[in-house]
Amino acid sequence: MLKILRDLLRYNREFLAGAILLSIILVMVALSFVSPYDEGVMFAAAPDMPPSLEHWFGTTSRGQDVFWEMTGALRNTLAFGVLVAVISRMIALVVGMVSGYLGGKADQVIMAFNDTIGALPHIPILLLVYFVLRNQMSWVILAVVASLLGWSYDSRLIRSVALSLRHREFTRHAVFSGMRISQILIREHLPYVVPIIFFTAMNNLIWAIGLEVTLSILGFLDINRPSVGGMIYWANAHSAMVSGIWWWIAFPMIFVVMLFLGLFMLAMSINEYIDPRSRLARMGA
Amino acid sequence: MQQAPAGQVAVVTEPEPTQNTLTIDRLKAYYINEHYGVKREIRAVDDISLVVRRNEIYGLAGESSSGKTSLIKTLAGAIRPPMRVIGGSVTFNFGDESVDVYRQPDRMRAARWRHLSYIMQGSMNVLNPVRRVKHSFRDFAQRHMDRHDFQQRLEAHLRRLQLDPGVLEAFPHQLSGGMRQRLAIALATICEPEFIVADEPTTALDVLVQQDVLALIKEVQQRLKSSVVFVTHDMSVHAAITDRLGIMYAGRLVEEGPTAQIFAQPQHPYTAHLIDSLPRIGDLRIRKSLPGRPPALFDPPSGCRFHPRCPLAIERCHWESPEMLPSKTNGRVACHRAGEAEVA
Repeated sequence: MLKILRDLLRYNREFLAGAILLSIILVMVALSFVSPYDEGVMFAAAPDMPPSLEHWFGTTSRGQDVFWEMTGALRNTLAFGVLVAVISRMIALVVGMVSGYLGGKADQVIMAFNDTIGALPHIPILLLVYFVLRNQMSWVILAVVASLLGWSYDSRLIRSVALSLRHREFTRHAVFSGMRISQILIREHLPYVVPIIFFTAMNNLIWAIGLEVTLSILGFLDINRPSVGGMIYWANAHSAMVSGIWWWIAFPMIFVVMLFLGLFMLAMSINEYIDPRSRLARMGA
Repeated sequence: MQQAPAGQVAVVTEPEPTQNTLTIDRLKAYYINEHYGVKREIRAVDDISLVVRRNEIYGLAGESSSGKTSLIKTLAGAIRPPMRVIGGSVTFNFGDESVDVYRQPDRMRAARWRHLSYIMQGSMNVLNPVRRVKHSFRDFAQRHMDRHDFQQRLEAHLRRLQLDPGVLEAFPHQLSGGMRQRLAIALATICEPEFIVADEPTTALDVLVQQDVLALIKEVQQRLKSSVVFVTHDMSVHAAITDRLGIMYAGRLVEEGPTAQIFAQPQHPYTAHLIDSLPRIGDLRIRKSLPGRPPALFDPPSGCRFHPRCPLAIERCHWESPEMLPSKTNGRVACHRAGEAEVA
């Protein structure tokens, strides 16, 4: 494992770039646990200070240090995205592989449901859930709701692969040799699907983070809990761009872009490593 | 047609007559399609009875769409909807236990790969392309064997089949077609099954590799003393490897018997034509092909299914389907004018 990582870092530039970007983000997340400021406390520092040695990323009009605010915001946003990605990946995987393998009527019924989920508009539903559950709302509930909405495209993708795997000789062979459906799906089909999972996980993580940022920019999440979108929400509320406090908006944006880029490059290079066919394609075979 | 002189009859591997490894009794399996209210039955396996003895290679021949593959899928219990067994039974006898494929699914499941293995059509592709070869072997075969000496047995087995154990570490796309074919045979024989079904294992290979693979199957069969059902449309392969031969036409068995005798004295006019179509060295005759095409299996002809193409057809063939009756050549034949066909 370590040797694989070392080789990837040494020979794969995308992996190296992605790893650097993501490790910056992860260092920020780790720093959030040793923050000298309490999260959500206002006027702990002098407001509206530009970046300096004391406040690396400056301070906000609410008297918060942007750097330390940023660490907590990244942690919360990343946690939301990862939770959504993990839950929705599991749903997409199970639904897609089972539907594709069973085929026929079962497949039609499952896919009809799948497409219904896919046709639902996400943001209005999330807003509805937010208004209904207003008092009990937490980011975990929101993440679960988001993952219940966010699996359908990828399960269709996985299903299409499973549908073709089902007719391959090795599947017939596995069925004939007496393997159970669960064994066939996990041992024979899963390795085929894993690179797709990685790729969709990256997409899904980006989608989930985008959703979180959108909702919190609009002020629909707990605005006192630091998040990347929440920071932009407050910056807008204080007209930061007009009053020239650019650092309040610039740093959240820079870090979101770094996060997206890092995830994308990592997913791409890992996919390439796992899937021997794309490795061959890279070699020009 | 007179009886063949005794000297002409080639000696076949003498099977033990008490032991029938496989008994198929009046088996019917149809593909049943229903689209927009129109129901069609495709009678791919229609009323077939046959036995396969211990320690013999039973060949199945016939042109495309004659139901060869459907028959062996059905006998191996490897069918899926829309194909369904309509009637009859398939019973295996693996030495100490007998298994009815369609009435004892649990025992059948336990017998798979351990007692009954299958070399599939296009069997080069039975190895999962994204997993190393050793993982495929583990998945398919290890369950049926002793776990701790599996690796040694596997390597010994591969060496016997002239494969380097190093191939276990490879991905299938790193191997040649012939190697994959041999691996597929290794996979089918590692558990030393009593019964092996081989569906066109040599069709995609060139002649030299074909020779190797045929020799390999023959050698494995003789070592394990197992029974093999060998399907191919290539009559010369049948002549080379099988002990007994069954000829299929339009979902039915039309003739069966010891291979050498079928080649010497085909009883059914269709068999005669199949054998007549084989090229022979020094024979410059232009070969006639049979007029017409194999019938559509959802609407087979009345009476004998071969009668629209049969040069010997008489009035009776149009309305009376011939029974499988003992033939003069120690086999069975389903024809009202059995034995009257001539091979030029």
